[in-house]
Amino acid sequence: MMEGRCAAESWAEFGLLGKSGSSLVKCGTGTDVFICTGGEEVYVFTAQEKTLRAVLQMPAAVRDVVVSHDEQLLFVACWSGVYCVNVQLLVPSFSHDAGSGPTELKISTECLVAVADRVSSLLVVGSVLLTLCRTDASWSLTLYQIQRTSQSDPCDLLASFSLPLVSPKVQSDTESRCVLVCVYPGDLMPASSPPHPPRSHYPLQPLLFRRLFGAEAALSKSPVVLCGLPDGRLSFLPLRIPGSRLRILHSLEQSVVFVGASAVMETDAGCAGCLIALGKQGRAVLIRAGRAGLEGGGGTRFTLGCVPGPVECACMDQSRVYYSTGSDLLMVDLWDGSSGTAGRQGDKEDEASRSNPAAFLTPISLNVSGVVALHQPARSSAGEVQLLSLSVRGRLQSIRLPVRTQEDSLSKGPSSQVGRSVGDILSAIGDICERASVLKTIIRSKNQILKQLNQVVNISFLLSNRSESDLKPVRCRGSVRWSRLLQRDSLNLTCVLENLSPFVLERGWTLSVTVLPLSCPLEAGGEASSVNYSFPFSGLGPGESVEVSLPVAAAGDASFPVTVTCSLLFSLWRFLGQEEATAPLDLQSACFSLPLNTLTVDWLHALRLSDPPAPARSSSSPADLLQGFISSRQLRCRGGQASRPEEYSARVRVSSELLRDALGLAPGSPRVSLLEWLLSEGCGGVKMERKGIKTDGSSSVICGSAPDNATVKLTAEEVNVEEKTKPLVIVEVQVKSSSVAAVCGLHHAVLRRIQTLLQKAGSSRMVPTTDLRLALQQAEEQRGQVWEASSVGVSSGQTPPLLLRVYQQLRDGPLLIL
Amino acid sequence: MIQSTSLLESWTQENNQLASGCKLQDGQNEPNREHNLFRQRRWSSDFHRLLRKIQGIPPHLDRAQLELSVVYNTCVCFTAQSQFDEAELLLTQTAQRLLQIAGDDPGTSDPSVLWRTALKSVTGTALHRRVLSLLCLQWGVWLAKSRLTAVQDFQEEVSLLEAQSGAVWNDCRAETKEKISNIPILVLDPRRLVDLLKICTAIVQGAERLTEGWSVLSALQAASASPAPRALIAYTHLLSGSCLAHMNRPQMALQCYRKALETDPRCVCALYQSALIYSRLENSQAEIQALRILHSMLLLPSTTEPAMAADRLLSPSLFLCSQSLSSLLSVPSALSVLHSLALKCVIHSRVSEGVECYLDLLAALQSEDQHGVHAAVSTLPKLPRLYLEAGAALLMARRPADCMALCDEVIGSTLDLLPEKVLLEDPVARRVAGSGEVTEEAENGLVRLLWTAAAYLLQGHCYSQLKDWKQAVTHYTRCINLLVKVHYKDTGFSLQMPCADKDAEQGVDLCVLQRLKGLSLAGRGISFAQIDRLREALRDLQLSRQAHPEGVSARRWYGEVLWRLDRKQEAAACWEQTWSNPIPSLSEALPVYAQELQSGPLLDSAELRQKLQELGPT
Repeated sequence: MMEGRCAAESWAEFGLLGKSGSSLVKCGTGTDVFICTGGEEVYVFTAQEKTLRAVLQMPAAVRDVVVSHDEQLLFVACWSGVYCVNVQLLVPSFSHDAGSGPTELKISTECLVAVADRVSSLLVVGSVLLTLCRTDASWSLTLYQIQRTSQSDPCDLLASFSLPLVSPKVQSDTESRCVLVCVYPGDLMPASSPPHPPRSHYPLQPLLFRRLFGAEAALSKSPVVLCGLPDGRLSFLPLRIPGSRLRILHSLEQSVVFVGASAVMETDAGCAGCLIALGKQGRAVLIRAGRAGLEGGGGTRFTLGCVPGPVECACMDQSRVYYSTGSDLLMVDLWDGSSGTAGRQGDKEDEASRSNPAAFLTPISLNVSGVVALHQPARSSAGEVQLLSLSVRGRLQSIRLPVRTQEDSLSKGPSSQVGRSVGDILSAIGDICERASVLKTIIRSKNQILKQLNQVVNISFLLSNRSESDLKPVRCRGSVRWSRLLQRDSLNLTCVLENLSPFVLERGWTLSVTVLPLSCPLEAGGEASSVNYSFPFSGLGPGESVEVSLPVAAAGDASFPVTVTCSLLFSLWRFLGQEEATAPLDLQSACFSLPLNTLTVDWLHALRLSDPPAPARSSSSPADLLQGFISSRQLRCRGGQASRPEEYSARVRVSSELLRDALGLAPGSPRVSLLEWLLSEGCGGVKMERKGIKTDGSSSVICGSAPDNATVKLTAEEVNVEEKTKPLVIVEVQVKSSSVAAVCGLHHAVLRRIQTLLQKAGSSRMVPTTDLRLALQQAEEQRGQVWEASSVGVSSGQTPPLLLRVYQQLRDGPLLIL
Repeated sequence: MIQSTSLLESWTQENNQLASGCKLQDGQNEPNREHNLFRQRRWSSDFHRLLRKIQGIPPHLDRAQLELSVVYNTCVCFTAQSQFDEAELLLTQTAQRLLQIAGDDPGTSDPSVLWRTALKSVTGTALHRRVLSLLCLQWGVWLAKSRLTAVQDFQEEVSLLEAQSGAVWNDCRAETKEKISNIPILVLDPRRLVDLLKICTAIVQGAERLTEGWSVLSALQAASASPAPRALIAYTHLLSGSCLAHMNRPQMALQCYRKALETDPRCVCALYQSALIYSRLENSQAEIQALRILHSMLLLPSTTEPAMAADRLLSPSLFLCSQSLSSLLSVPSALSVLHSLALKCVIHSRVSEGVECYLDLLAALQSEDQHGVHAAVSTLPKLPRLYLEAGAALLMARRPADCMALCDEVIGSTLDLLPEKVLLEDPVARRVAGSGEVTEEAENGLVRLLWTAAAYLLQGHCYSQLKDWKQAVTHYTRCINLLVKVHYKDTGFSLQMPCADKDAEQGVDLCVLQRLKGLSLAGRGISFAQIDRLREALRDLQLSRQAHPEGVSARRWYGEVLWRLDRKQEAAACWEQTWSNPIPSLSEALPVYAQELQSGPLLDSAELRQKLQELGPT
């Protein structure tokens, strides 16, 4: 049950907190408060006037701040060492001029009083300054003597104690601060200490002190330093005992965030009868003196409990612990007044509380979010508790808790609330509003992510449940075109992704296109030299399409056919809003990858057409003319004695009747339409963009150049032959070129296309597909051999015979398809 | 080529700027230790940066002079910060680069082989003295790392260094004066380095051999004549003294220690060693005197730090870190010295001085001022024992009220930590098992119990000194009640355990236990005798004699009580026994409070003899 509402009043804003240092709020001299926001500055804020009085600019990020007992010196720990600043410097000497602004002080290494690496925490006990540092293999607690005479003098090193790390790997968390507090026997009031004990100093009940730290510490009235380490160990060091060392008091098994002491009974008269340590994940241990046991020193009881974590920071007053989980500020009453103090009730209740730790520490929410640092609470004479807090947004807040009374005050509750000022309530509402809006944003983004994930899963099912032969509802079409850029010709593939599914491909999907030349050699690692292109697109509704363009091959590159594999990718990191570079998982396991269809670009696609008759006439541009001239000269030169370059040719024969049926043509001239079809029809999902095909008369001729710049001539003729004593009209497609590679490739391409054509028509009549398949295989082999030969190079002696053999095989069987 | 020369010049200039800045700043005596540290760090990083630039290109003869100088400067800075590993790595790399110039490849990374080859390759060239100065630094690194065999291996080269140092360095000086701008400046004159290293080597070697049991007198005597800082000369005298002390010549050793002190008054270890020798000679007055001076010297702020500012950049203490040397040079903390002074005073019947020392010690332990409390190794006994010793001293000085206050403190801090009972196993069986750790808690219980019991015993003594016999009986009774809480597990184990094995902590504790039992029973018996409860007195004194047969006053009072009970023959027999052994003087083996303090009512032995003579005729 929430008991009253607390009022949060914002005092100042310090901007967002830095990451490199630690965030702190510590009380200073008088009403001054020292604030660190994780950067290199220490702000001095006067609580009375609610103004910023001074800013200290330190050379490095601030780790801890502590004030000496006489409130004259301020010690600031940075990574490299401890700096000392005289508090008098922070008071503006030239009176309180309005608008003069805060004093700005730049602290240099002149003020360095102790060089130490990786200082984590500071504490001042009397005239001794203690630093806790982490070295590579241990924690070291170092004692320095504070110089009273001159503030700029370095402190004398008194002693150093070390405690080995449990395991260097486990303790990678160097950022978390350690806790250093000082306890001393309560019957002893140090003469030099101010009337009210400073923060981190707790007077302990003498009995508890003796039991915890032994007779020697009690006899020497020595202050004892308690260190809470990030590995969960709580260790102690009596300061004034010769030959003492750091010893372990308890292990919390989680990073210690807070160590404090609390008064159990009224009879303690200001001494704390109970030590409390809080861990990061909310584990708590209460240490009290019990009955003397059989063995000496065994009379301390460690009661374990836990509070809902995580504990960001904590502070406590006489009997209550206030801690922040980051999203809320909670208050735990250790000794509930109504049920009698746990200390007084004896062992019975203790047993009960030990068996049920959840009941033992029940926190009450105070509804303040984002608190990262808390200052020791101050209690006014009226019993009102005031907390100073620093929020994650760098706001210094004063949180005022309602006056706490006994059970019977519940009835009085409303009447006491009447008197509360509207401003308090408004600011409380504002705070809750802020918390609510943060939560709302989180929920909204979660919903968004779930919706998106649903879409992604839908699409994944749609695309992965179909077999390969089915047409996928999301697929790619392609078209190729030669283009010229910067004097270089290249074959560009325009890929059109069509979404024919009922779902939206939302933002976050990526079209991944892999271009893999079929006849390229395997590289050393066994991987083909493929090129991968990724195109992220933003949203593709049903029926929409998106067009991407990519280069497939450059002029002179003869590694056709090329397989273009398309797939859709969706990275899960999109949901988490993280950068892929910082993702802890590898990319493969964290994304959906859905293969789409595969496109093939072959020699026919890559054929560049030119006019069949004399090339001199077609003068489109001077550059082309020049190019033609040079190439003709080159041919002549290379040919040497021969006036014409060698010509290779290959033929494919198809029965006209079959063609007519397959193409669905009227009886007429199938040869023209065959050529037209060969060059225009989209095969392998890829279309060509060409202006028109020029044919002449009955024997249509197409001239062009292959990608390796060899001239190519394709002719289709109707021929009468006699097959098995039966006269037949067939169409003969002849490929002629000066390049064996071109002949082979084109032959293969033509065969492939005819195969697809016949397969399409296969339903209507018997087609000799087996022959065709054999022929296709052979053609593929030949093409591979030619490619190999050309890539090995002409110099090798084996090449010409090989080429000759291939060519003969080509010439041998002009396949007849009936 | 043009660029190369200009680079060479600019690098030389950079080195010279750094080195002269370094020399200049080093001259200013900076009181701030931290600032010095920062400055040294900056120098070494600056030099190292320059060196990395120079070593970024392949080694060449033209640049070798500069490179070697910068290596020297960098290594001096590293050594000054005790970064010996970095310095050694750099030196080895440099030797390898030198060999690259010469085209030699020894094919090993063994530094001694490397240096030999390098020296051979540059013999007769201008680089020779640079290489020698680097070898000097290598020597320093070996010395600092206590690798004396390596130093000895190079004895030949080192002697070469010494022989040549005069001529070569003078030559170098002349050359430097000629063309000051082109010669790279060194931050430290190598001749001074050689001198420093020579004496440091003598000291460290002397210490090592001394611990191995060799006689090193002659070498040390020779070293003491060499020019060196006073502190180092004092060390040679000190080592000679230790050597003589090992050779059982205490008087000559004392002479040497005196010489060491005369050479360097801050050489406190000589004073400490003298005190040890006096202790061995059983010259307690001189020992107390020495301890007193030692304590007052240790309280001076200057002596706590080895302020050997012979050379500001390189302190001799950098090279004097051998284990055996530091054990020879170690001096207990001021508080430990004060404690042994107090104890000696009390034992050697200078009680009032002892009391003052004890009070000073307790005040120092209670004070806010933390100087000296946190010595690395503390030889001070536990605090309650200190309190009890102080209490015993106060009692002997007839200040019972103060003694009672101290005992009250001890009792207050230990009483609620006492165990209900302590169970002890047979120490013989425990020693066989060899597990001291297992029963540590029980031992702590025993120790605390003994503290509290001793405090009650002292309070009983106080009351008997005040002649408040009832209170005395009460406190002796409390002490006895505590002591009987200790039980033995093995019934066959003899309670009359002698104090033979005092080395074992448990043995001392048991001995103290028996003593305390005997003393408290005797005290109660005497108190009973004073209030004429003779029967109880007789019982207690009898028990006391069983627990602690050596107790003299218990036996005398036993006789006295018998006499009063009119058992005169028995009394005479009892007294006869006591003549032979008088009350033993205090010893250091056991805590003072567990010994007979002669604080209670005494029986006049003359009176006893008279009584015996009266009895004799009858």
